[in-house]
Amino acid sequence: MSEETHIPQEDLALYALRELPEGEAAAVRAHLAGCADCRQEAAELAGDLALVALGAEQHPLPEGARERLLKKIAVDAGETGREAAPKVVSIEDAKPVRRIYMSVPWAAVAAMLVFAFALMMKIGALNLEVKQQSALLAQQAAASSRAQRVLDALTAGSAQRVLLTAAKTKPAPSAHAVYVASSGSLILQANNLDPLPTDKTYELWVIPADGKAPIPAGLFRPDAAGSASVILPALPTGVAAKAFGVTVERAEGSATPTAPIVLAGATGE
Amino acid sequence: MLERVKANDQGAMGEFCDRYGRLVYSVALRVLKDPSQAEDLMQEVFLQVWRNPGAFERGRGTLGAWLAVVARNRAVDVLRRRKPNDSVDDVVLTSSTNLASEVERNSMMEKVRQAMGGLPEEQQRSVELAFFEGMTHAEIAARTGDPLGTVKTRIRTALMSLRKAVQA
Repeated sequence: MSEETHIPQEDLALYALRELPEGEAAAVRAHLAGCADCRQEAAELAGDLALVALGAEQHPLPEGARERLLKKIAVDAGETGREAAPKVVSIEDAKPVRRIYMSVPWAAVAAMLVFAFALMMKIGALNLEVKQQSALLAQQAAASSRAQRVLDALTAGSAQRVLLTAAKTKPAPSAHAVYVASSGSLILQANNLDPLPTDKTYELWVIPADGKAPIPAGLFRPDAAGSASVILPALPTGVAAKAFGVTVERAEGSATPTAPIVLAGATGE
Repeated sequence: MLERVKANDQGAMGEFCDRYGRLVYSVALRVLKDPSQAEDLMQEVFLQVWRNPGAFERGRGTLGAWLAVVARNRAVDVLRRRKPNDSVDDVVLTSSTNLASEVERNSMMEKVRQAMGGLPEEQQRSVELAFFEGMTHAEIAARTGDPLGTVKTRIRTALMSLRKAVQA
């Protein structure tokens, strides 16, 4: 391929960042399939992106994250039927081969080996396909279950619907919260929020009715129009709420709310 | 370690988490800014590794670098609320950066931070907006008021400078 037809580096960088629109990305993919130079450059740019990833401040894993992961792996292993690695049997333990096999003609043995190998290849390919389909199904099931929860929360008769407004007189910022205590489902849609510096974030809080400490319910930042949403943050179930609040916290969030509360709303119960 | 994962050794995934969990979680948290979502994403990436350990090949740079880019791409998918539009198999990269040990990671992070800090402010900002905020170059251009071509060039130049600085 001639120099003139190579993909410009700018576009390869955007491709590595997955920023190109699908049409352009498909054209780049097609070019890369036939151009080793561009493929190499794209791979190096992707390597550069790994360096950018390292620029992210490192945080310890949340408590119990390792155990939760291993539990999921164990469940997945059960669902997909992955079995433990086959045991290695020592030569001494193996049953002796009966002499009669030695008399089978070599040509027949070779034919059987070829047949067995072909079968193994086929089984391997089928296993891979099953695994890929299972992974896809699991992803779709998870997405569907989440969508169902959103729908359930929005339509539940027992849902608490609360309008959160600015604590002070500034007209714009407001938010709507929908909360189902029994399932711990919370959805917040906020509008007209003030922009924040990069080292700050908004944090949503559930204020329990029993007077216990506020429960953090997710970090969020508004988009250019001042809108933001929090969908189904991780919350304990069965916590009756008397109010909801939003505070401004440092970028990684806080375990306790920092005054002032910029948005607040009571459940009215 | 991947060989043990291929052999269905669940214990190997524990070691995998010990070695790369923090890296993957931190990248996801930087993009998503939500600890719960970041943990979900880390689980998703590691489940993909468990289900398809052959997706990473030695010819594709180092495992840590690969995981960092896979985590970022998945996190941006979540941020843009779109379905994952590629599988982990599609991430191909060349990287001499060895991130297998804590010491190597810390040393490389220090180099990267220094190199990033040395970039012109507008290049640094463009890369951060594209990489961590998941903004398209058109969105960046709209925010900064710069022409599209300028934004593209800034991103490419910043990546090149970063590569040179780390290789030096």
